[in-house]
Amino acid sequence: MKAIKRRIKSVGSTKQITNAMQLVASSKLRKAKTRAEQTRPYFNELYKTMCEIASANDDFSTVYTIKREVKQKLFIVVAGDRGLAGGYNSNVLKMAAAAHADDAEKPKIIAIGRKSAEYFQKRDYDVVAAFANIAEDIKPNTAQDIADLALKMFAEGEVDEVHVFYTMFNSTLSQQPETMKLLPLDTQELEFEGNMTYDPSPEAVFNRIVPRFTASLLMCAIVESYASEQGARRTAMEAATDNADAMTESLSLLYNRARQASITTEIIDIVSGASAQNN
Amino acid sequence: MTPFKLQIITPEKTVFDGETEQIIVRTTVGDVGILNGHEPYCAAVAIGQMRIMIDGEFRRAATSGGIIKVSKEKTTVLVQTCEWSDEIDVERAEAAKAAAEERVKAAKNDKELLLAEAKLKRALNRIDTSNFN
Repeated sequence: MKAIKRRIKSVGSTKQITNAMQLVASSKLRKAKTRAEQTRPYFNELYKTMCEIASANDDFSTVYTIKREVKQKLFIVVAGDRGLAGGYNSNVLKMAAAAHADDAEKPKIIAIGRKSAEYFQKRDYDVVAAFANIAEDIKPNTAQDIADLALKMFAEGEVDEVHVFYTMFNSTLSQQPETMKLLPLDTQELEFEGNMTYDPSPEAVFNRIVPRFTASLLMCAIVESYASEQGARRTAMEAATDNADAMTESLSLLYNRARQASITTEIIDIVSGASAQNN
Repeated sequence: MTPFKLQIITPEKTVFDGETEQIIVRTTVGDVGILNGHEPYCAAVAIGQMRIMIDGEFRRAATSGGIIKVSKEKTTVLVQTCEWSDEIDVERAEAAKAAAEERVKAAKNDKELLLAEAKLKRALNRIDTSNFN
């Protein structure tokens, strides 16, 4: 009976923790969601402009659009800094690991988030750079630094393709790991007013946009992933809290039964003792 | 002057979405002024000051690199940062300037020097812009 009582107490304190984590995740999620919405317009406009330039000027190509034979890939993998977020970390990491299963060379890695860095370092990947604790309050400059690193490796031929792995935030209940090719750039053909004047030249403007574009794409991916992380954690903690409730309930039932049983035994003892004396 | 639609967007938020009569922006090839009915135009924006006219009065902002795009329906400015002159934190800008100066001195190679100089330029630009208040 003492053991059950202790058990109830420990489940209760665990529940307090998971409940608190759930609340924290909910409030962080709200912030992350607005952030994600605010970063999108910039990205959309940049992408549109880039596609316009590319479709208006058929003959032009830059180092960022040329496709090469793919020998070495670079993966930028965005995961969380902390665990206890359901399948959030493992889903995106597994996806990245599965994505190069057919390749001869292991990809180089830029890890964003502590869990991502730990995962790849443990498995002997070539981790070029690791960034931890940046997702919550990501600044455009930080995203730019990461993008510049990737662009430089690509431009110098160190890697032939750059992929980003992140988690798409659909809703609080559903988050989907996604992958996207960052480099070489794929541009869509777009219909638009064709007489745009570029100052000084389309190439110059295009080359100017590319670093901004990659940075903003990364920023979007990180912000989106962070919202997913909070969503996943919220859901996981909600489930944990519910489980704790169910567990406390069944344990108290068990405890009460045991208590009743012991009382009954005591009464039987007394009654049978008394009746033995009477005889 | 006839007003036209203008959007100023940074990676963090939409800074401005409304009507303006004129915008003057520092591009990589010099200051460019845009009025209503400008031909479709696209240029790279450099670190510098941007002025937009609302009700006959100029509002100033410090911008860093990005692009400006003029199309028939609207003008869009996409920049890394954009701070209105009255919103600039002068103390922070001064601190950034001091830090950047240190880095220019400590730079070991060309790339570091270039980065430090860009940082210094941004800090100076912000200080200059805030002086217009």
